[in-house]
Parts: sequence; structure tokens; C-alpha cells
Amino acid sequence: MHIPDGFINIATAASTYAASTGAIAYAVKATGKQLSEKRVPLMGVMAAFIFAAQLFDFPLLGGTSGHFLGAALAAILLGPWAGLLVMSCVLIIQSLLLQDGGIIALGANIFNMGVIGCLAGYLIYRGVSSIGRESRAARLAGSFLGGWFSITAAALATTGELAISSVSPQQVMLPVIGSIYAVIGLVEGAITAAAVSLVLTARPDLILAYRLAPEKGD
Amino acid sequence: MEHDFLDRYSKLDSPIHRLDPRVKFISAVVFVLAVALTPAEQYAVYAALVGLLAVALVLSHLPLGHVAKRSLVIIPFVVLVGLFIPFIKEGTPAFTFTIVWWDLTVTREGLAVFLNTLVKAWLSILCLIILSSTTSATRLFQAMQRLGLPEVMVAVLSFMYRYLFVLQEEVMRLERARQSRSFGSDRRRLPTTLGHMAGSLFIRSYERGERIYAAMLARGYDGTAR
Repeated sequence: MHIPDGFINIATAASTYAASTGAIAYAVKATGKQLSEKRVPLMGVMAAFIFAAQLFDFPLLGGTSGHFLGAALAAILLGPWAGLLVMSCVLIIQSLLLQDGGIIALGANIFNMGVIGCLAGYLIYRGVSSIGRESRAARLAGSFLGGWFSITAAALATTGELAISSVSPQQVMLPVIGSIYAVIGLVEGAITAAAVSLVLTARPDLILAYRLAPEKGD
Repeated sequence: MEHDFLDRYSKLDSPIHRLDPRVKFISAVVFVLAVALTPAEQYAVYAALVGLLAVALVLSHLPLGHVAKRSLVIIPFVVLVGLFIPFIKEGTPAFTFTIVWWDLTVTREGLAVFLNTLVKAWLSILCLIILSSTTSATRLFQAMQRLGLPEVMVAVLSFMYRYLFVLQEEVMRLERARQSRSFGSDRRRLPTTLGHMAGSLFIRSYERGERIYAAMLARGYDGTAR
């Protein structure tokens, strides 16, 4: 889903860059309260964690394979703003060092997979778990739906940007890409829910630590 | 995954390797911008851009096979998005063919947009490959910091880069453990298994991050990189 350079026009690239830069600036401020600059090593390792978790790939129909994105998982585990920062770092490294995603398109990629992926996934997760009174089942359902929604929403945003750049007509691409990624999203949701379930069992303190209690000793 | 897959050629010596990373970074961005802004029918400009790229490629002493192989990264996206273009763009039909019961018409306009997109994508990615293959990650981060990227982001990026390889090994260990335990397992359970692996990877990474932070504190770390 990483857009390479050449696919979106300058106006789309500039506006998504502006939106992503704004969101990152806010995220730096918002996370500054929970995690001071001293927590930089931990953020770095968390970004490396998402990068490594994206190596998990799963077979899809017809010999193709998809891989885990982890935007919703990052937002659920670390909080939406720290999650956004982590995803942005992952996308920057992928674009600069691996050419997975272009440099002019970096703003759009951060917008789709970071801003939309993390924030939309997180909102769904919060919504579902608060409806279910924060029970374990509700959290897991929220994780599944959050993971599914983050992929679907990010894919639709990508398609929208391509349509605005008049590379591809929206009326054909939107349903096609939308339904492909709605299916991939089911796997993403299942992986996200299973990961959250394991962390809830083994180290529930890690999920809550970032949002509720400031780190001790800082 | 091999450990040197990122920095393999950044230690060669060539005029391009010796350039200030800031110069390289800015030139790469300007080049990609120029590619993006050039209209499809400006063949002379494209020829000049290709010429520039060829000169940089020759000067950089990078193995051409390596550069060509790396540039294939864009293929999945081109297949997913680009291949639709010639068929659904309206315009004069270039040729028509039938797959089973499906009549497909390729239009000239669609074909032109597709080829132009492909050329733009390929030129841009070649430029970025030259940038990242001739500059070590650390020097690239330093250059970006001097060009205005916030220090916190640079610090996080540097830490991330340092631990990528460690965590990749962790993934390989998890994968080996899964394979040795679940011979012939049900494919429908794969997402759950992968999720549990991601969960334990998170816990291991988080604990590793805390150990690293504690070790750094013990050695006098005060939030600034020295």
C-alpha cells in the first residue's frame, strides 16, 4: 500500500505532507507529557518492533501474500499519538532506506497508514471497548474491528489520493481496492486481536502504562 | 534477512559517496520533484533527467544489477494500481481483446498515462536508490537533522535503526519456534498464531527497551545524544 513517487500529483503530495507534519507536531507535543525525551530509546525500540512485526506475512488468494501493518496495534498498545510517531518513523525508514514508498509520496503514506491508520483504528477500539465496559471480550472485539478498519480506511484514502491525482478513475478503483483490502483487513484484525489478547494475559500493565500512569522514576 | 542488506554499498569510495550528505539529500528531493512536475509530452526534459541519473549512476560505482533489483520494489503497486489505467481511462481505443467473456479495450490516453506514471515512478526510485546506497543511514539522519528534522525524531530514528537488526533476529527466532512446533498446522489458525507472535515480540521489545534505557541512565544518559 506504500505509494511510490510518480503516482500522486504535487498538490495531493503537498496537502498530505502538510496534514501529516501537523499531526506529527501535535503528536510530539502530546506524547511529550507522557514520555519525555528520556523515553527516546523506548520509542526507538518500539518503532523497530513495528518494523519487525511487519515481516509477518500471510498467504492470500492466488499465490500473493499480504503483510501485517500494525498501525492499529501500535495505537492500542502505545496510545494513538505515540503510535503515530512510531508508524511515521517506520515509514520514513522504509522510504529512505528501502525505497518502500516514495519521498514525495511520504506525506501521503504517513497520512494514510500513520494518521488515518492509527487514529481511526484507535477510535474504533476505544469506542467498542467503552461500549463493552472495558471487558476483555470488548477490548478484543475492538482490537479486531480497529485493525480491520485501519486497513480498509487507509486503502480507501490511498485510492482517493490516486483518484484526485487522476491516475485512476475513482468509480472503478474504489470498490475494487476497497473490497480487496476489506478482506486483507480481516487478517490484520485477527492478528491485532490475538496480539492484544496475549499482552492482556501476560503483561496487561504494558497496555495501560502509557495512557494512565506516567512512568515511575522519571 | 541479511544484516548488510541496508548499508552494503555505502562504504564504497566514489565521487558520489564523498559528497556532503546534505547536498545529496537536497539534490535527490529536487530531482524527484522535477520528475513529478515534468508534463508527459516533454521528452527533452525526460532525456535530460535520464542523462543526469545515468551520470550519477556511473560515478557512484554501484553495481547495476543491485540497483535494478532494488528498483523492482515498485512492481506490486504498479500491478495493483497501474495495470487498471489503460483499460478504464476513456479515450480513443488502441486495441481491444477478449478474455473469456470480458471485452477489454485499451485506450491510447490510458496507455499514455500508464507509461508516464511508470517512467516517473522508475526514475524517482532509481534516484532514491542512489541516495540510500551511497550514504550510510547515520549520515543521512545527521543531514536531515541539519536540514531541520526535529532532534527527537532523529534520535528515535537512530535508535530504531540500531535495533532493527536485533528485533529481526527475534522475529527469526519466533518463526523458527513456530515452525518446529506446528508441523502441518491449520492455515486458518495462522492469523492467531502470528498475532501471538506479534504480542510476545512486543513484550520482548518493550522489556528490551526498558533495559536499554536503564543501562543508558546508569552510564549518565540525560536525554541528549553525544
